[in-house]
Amino acid sequence: MNFQSVIATLHQFWSAQGCLIVQAYDVEKGAGTKSPHTFLRALGPEPWSVAYVEPCRRPGDGRYGENPNRYQYYYQYQVLIKPSPDGIQDLYLDSLRVLGILPEEHDIRFVEDNWEDGAVGAWGVGWEVWLDGMEVTQFTYFQQCGGLDCQPVSVEITYGLERLTMYLQQTDAIAKIQWNDRLTYGDVHLQGEIEQSTYNFQASNPQLLFTLFDLYQQEAEQLLDKGLVTPALDYILKCSHTFNLLDARGSISVTQRAGYLGRVRSLARRVAQLYVQQRQELGFPLLGAAAHRAPAV
Amino acid sequence: MSTFLLELGTEDMPAGFVTSALAQWEQLVPASLALHQLSARTVRLYGTPRRLALVLEGLPPRQTDQEVEYKGPSVQAAFSQGQPTPAALGFARSRGVQIEDLERRTTEKGEFLFLRQVLPGRPTQEILPALGQEWILGLEAPRMMRWGTGNLKFSRPIRWLVSLWEDQVLPLTLGALTSGQTSPGHRVMHPQRVTINGAGAYQGCLEAAWVQVDPDRRRQQILSQVQAQAAAVGGWAEVPASLLAEVVHLVEWPSAGLGNFEPEFLSLPAAVTTTVMITHQRYFPVWDSERRRSLLPHFIAVSNGNPDRVSEILLGNERVIRARLADARFFYQADLSQPLVDYLPRLETVTFQEALGSMAAKVERIGQGAARIAQQLALTPSERLVVERTALLCKADLVTQMVGEFPELQGIMGETYAAASGEPLLVAQGIREHYLPRHPGDDLPQSYAGQVVGIADRLDTLVSIFGLGLAPTGSSDPFALRRAANAVVQVVLESPLNLDLLRLLREQITSFSSAYPHLLPSPDLASLEAQLLVFWGRRLRSYLQEDLGIDYDLVDGVLGKTQGDPGDLRLLRRALEDLGDLQRRAQWLRTSRVQGTLGKIYPTVNRATRLAAQGDLPADVLDPQQVLEVQYLSAPVELALAQALQDAHGVITSHPGDYPRLTEVLQAMTPVLERFFDGPESVLVMDPDPVRRRNRLNLLGLLRNQAALLADFGVIVNLG
Repeated sequence: MNFQSVIATLHQFWSAQGCLIVQAYDVEKGAGTKSPHTFLRALGPEPWSVAYVEPCRRPGDGRYGENPNRYQYYYQYQVLIKPSPDGIQDLYLDSLRVLGILPEEHDIRFVEDNWEDGAVGAWGVGWEVWLDGMEVTQFTYFQQCGGLDCQPVSVEITYGLERLTMYLQQTDAIAKIQWNDRLTYGDVHLQGEIEQSTYNFQASNPQLLFTLFDLYQQEAEQLLDKGLVTPALDYILKCSHTFNLLDARGSISVTQRAGYLGRVRSLARRVAQLYVQQRQELGFPLLGAAAHRAPAV
Repeated sequence: MSTFLLELGTEDMPAGFVTSALAQWEQLVPASLALHQLSARTVRLYGTPRRLALVLEGLPPRQTDQEVEYKGPSVQAAFSQGQPTPAALGFARSRGVQIEDLERRTTEKGEFLFLRQVLPGRPTQEILPALGQEWILGLEAPRMMRWGTGNLKFSRPIRWLVSLWEDQVLPLTLGALTSGQTSPGHRVMHPQRVTINGAGAYQGCLEAAWVQVDPDRRRQQILSQVQAQAAAVGGWAEVPASLLAEVVHLVEWPSAGLGNFEPEFLSLPAAVTTTVMITHQRYFPVWDSERRRSLLPHFIAVSNGNPDRVSEILLGNERVIRARLADARFFYQADLSQPLVDYLPRLETVTFQEALGSMAAKVERIGQGAARIAQQLALTPSERLVVERTALLCKADLVTQMVGEFPELQGIMGETYAAASGEPLLVAQGIREHYLPRHPGDDLPQSYAGQVVGIADRLDTLVSIFGLGLAPTGSSDPFALRRAANAVVQVVLESPLNLDLLRLLREQITSFSSAYPHLLPSPDLASLEAQLLVFWGRRLRSYLQEDLGIDYDLVDGVLGKTQGDPGDLRLLRRALEDLGDLQRRAQWLRTSRVQGTLGKIYPTVNRATRLAAQGDLPADVLDPQQVLEVQYLSAPVELALAQALQDAHGVITSHPGDYPRLTEVLQAMTPVLERFFDGPESVLVMDPDPVRRRNRLNLLGLLRNQAALLADFGVIVNLG
C-alpha cells in the first residue's frame, strides 16, 4: 500500500466513524497534538471527533537524511475523539484491518506509555501500540491540557505514518517508502531533509531566532490581551518552534532553558483558559449540535 | 461453604500495576474479610494485562454472629425499693428489651446492669458486592486516569465486571457498569465472550478461551519456552528478573520464538545490543553459555499472538531490531568520530540542577572533591593523575548520541569511548565504575578511580542539594540522595577505604559555600552540617540494621536514639570519622550479645550509665586522676572501683579500638560494681555530702565514658 493510500484509507475509515476530516494546520509544530484541532478542542465539555494528517518538525532529530529511521520532518496521522468511546481499542484494531494488517495474524500489544508535554501544561495516560515489536501508534487519554483538567476525557490516537508504511511495504528506510507508484518519500523529501538539517544545526542565525522568540511572545501576549484565541495560538506555536530551533542549534544555555520553557508554558495556559472562557461565552455551541446530530462513534 | 469470583476487566494495564494490584489485594482482601466477620479458606488472585480477578473459596453462608454487651446504670441507681427506676426502664427501652432481659454483674466500681445481645451475621452474599467495590476502588497506583464522561479513576479504563456467587451473578455496579457472567477471551484467539459456569471454574473457562489467568503459570511457561528456544541454537538465554516480571504481564497466552539478526551487529558493544533487546524491545538475549562470553546473533521474543503465527510475527520483530541496531551503530560510529575529551564543552549545555548550573560545573566540583579524597587516601602521584582524568571525563558520555538515545548506558559508553580514544584503561574502567553501585545488590567499583570519583560525585550532589534546601522528604527523593549515601557507605566499608567522611563533608560544605555564597550564607554552615549528619545517621542505621542485620537497640547504642539531639550528633560525627570503626563496634556488640558477654556487663554498666546522668562529668573524660578527689574516697568499695577504673584506663589507652579487650575490662569491673551498688558494702551514691556525692557520680561517669567508647549503654534495652 502506498503512503498516500495509507492516508486515504485512514481518512475513509475515520470518516465512516463520524470523524471530521480536516487538513493540517499551517504553522510549524513538533506534534499533531499542538494543532488547535486537538490542543484547544480537547478542552471543555463539547464533543469533538476529528482526524487529520499533521506534518511535524523536530529540528533536533535531523540527521541529514543519513539515519534511515529518523527525520526532522515527518507526518503523523492524528485522531481525537471526545468523549473517549468505550470500544476504542477495538475500533483502533479495525483501522489496522482496513490497512491490511489483520490483528489475528500479528502480535499487537498495548504497552504502557504515558505522555507529558510540560511546555504546554498537558499530560495523558496511555500506550504505545506495538505491531510485532514495532511501535506504530501512540494512544493517549488526555487528562490535562494547558493546565486545565480535561472533562470529558478525549482519546488521541497518533499513527506514525512512516513507520506504519515501512511495515506495510517491508522496507527499511524512510526514503525508500513508495509515496505513490512512481515516486518515493526520498524523491519528495530527502533533499529538504538534508537542507533543513544543515539549517537547524549550522546555518540558522541564533541572534535572529532569539529576537524572533521575543517578538512572537510579545505578539502572543497582546493577542491574548485582546481575547483572540487562534491568532494567539499561532504565535505561541511559533515561540515553541523557535525555541526548538535554538535548542537544536545548542544556543540555549542551562540558565536560559527553564526560563524559555516557562514562557511558552504560561502562554499555553493562558490560551487554554481563554479558549474555554470563549466557548462558555458562546454557550458551548457544539453541545447542542451533539444532541441532534448524534455522531456514529 | 461457597466460592466467590470477582473479575475486573480493563483496557491494557501497565505490567507494574498488575503486579502491585495483586500484592495490594493479598493484604487488603483477607483483612477486609476479617473486618466484616468473614474469612475464606483460600484467596486466589489472578491477573493479566486485561483483568484482575480473585476467587475466594470456602466462604461461610453468613457472617459470624457477634456478641455485644451494653452497660446500664448501677444496680443501686436502677432499683428503688425493689422496683426499677426510670433510669433502668429507660436503658431497657433504649435497647428494645424488658427489665428481665438485663443481667447483674459486679465490676470494680460496684454492681451494674448489663445487656448481652447476639447480633446475627448477615448473609455473605449481601455483603460481598459492597466489599468488591471497595477492593477495586481501594487499589492505589502512582498514576490514575479518568476516561469518557465518568468520574471513576483507575489505572486504565474499566470495561467489564464478573461477579459470581457459586454459579449465580452477584450484581455489583461500578459507575455505569454492572457485573455479569461473561468475560471476553483472548483478544485475537477468542474475541467472543465466554460464560463462566461457576466461581470455581474461572481459571478453566478462561484457559479454554486462550487466557492463562494465573501469572505464576505464565511465568513458568515463559521461562521454559525461552530456555528451550535458546537451547535449540546451543545458547543460554539471559532472563533478567525485572524483564520476566514485566513480560508475564504483557501477555495473556505466551508463545516464545527465536529471532535472528545479522552477525555484523555483534561488533557493537554487547551492553548496547542487550539494552536494545531488554529495555526497548522486551526481548531475552541469547549468549553462548551461562558464562556470557559472547553474545549470539539471536533474540527471544514472547508474543501474545496466535502461537501458530509465531514465525511470521518474528519476521516483523527481526525488522525492528535490525532498525534499532542500525540506529545504534549509526550513533556509535558518529560518537567515535571524535575523542571523548572533545565532548566536554557540550556539558555546559546540560543542566545538573537549575540553581547549581551545568554538568560542566558539576564535573569541576567532582574533580575538586576527588582530589581531597585522593589526598586523604595518600594516593601516589600517578594514581592521582588517573583519578583526575577519570573525574574530568566521567560525565562526558552524557552528550554522546548513544547515551542521548539510551540513557541507561551512561558510564558504559564512557568506558568504551574512553578506551577507543586511547585513554588509560584505568581511567576507562573508573568512568564506568563511578556509577556503581547503581542499586542495592549491584556490583561495587573495583578500581580506586571508580571508588574515589564515585564518592566525590555523590558527596557533591548530597551537599549541594541539601544546601539548596531540597533534602528528601517522605517518599520524595528526586535526586536519589538516599541511594547516593547508601552507595558511599557501601563503597567505603566494603572496598574498604580508610576515609574520614566527616572531614570530607565539612570540606565539601565549605567549598560549596564559597562557590555559591548567594545560596548558602556562612552562618548556615553549622545547621547544614547538622542536617547532613542526621540524614547520614539514618543511612548508617539502615545499613547496620538492614544490610548487616544488627539489632536496633545496638544500633541505637552506636548511633544514638534521638535524631538531631546534640549528644547524638557527637556520636554521628564519630561514626562518620571512621565508618570502619563504627561497623566493628556494631558487629562486636552483636557478637558479644550472642556470646553472652554483653548480658553479663549490661546490668551494671547500664545502671551506672543511667545514674551518671545525674552528675555533670563531660562525656569525653576518661582518666580518673583528672576528676576524682581521692582523699575523700573512704568506703573500701569506692577505693576498689577507683583503682579498677584507673587500671581500665591504662589498658584502654594502650589498646585503642580493641573492643573485645574493652569488654573484658568492663566485665572484670562488674563484681566491684555489684558490690558498689548492692549488698553490705554498698554505698549511697546520692550522699548528702556534696563532695562524696560528686566523687561517686564521677566514678560512675568514668565507667559510662569508658563503656561509651564501645556504645551508649543507656539506650541498649534488652538483656542478653
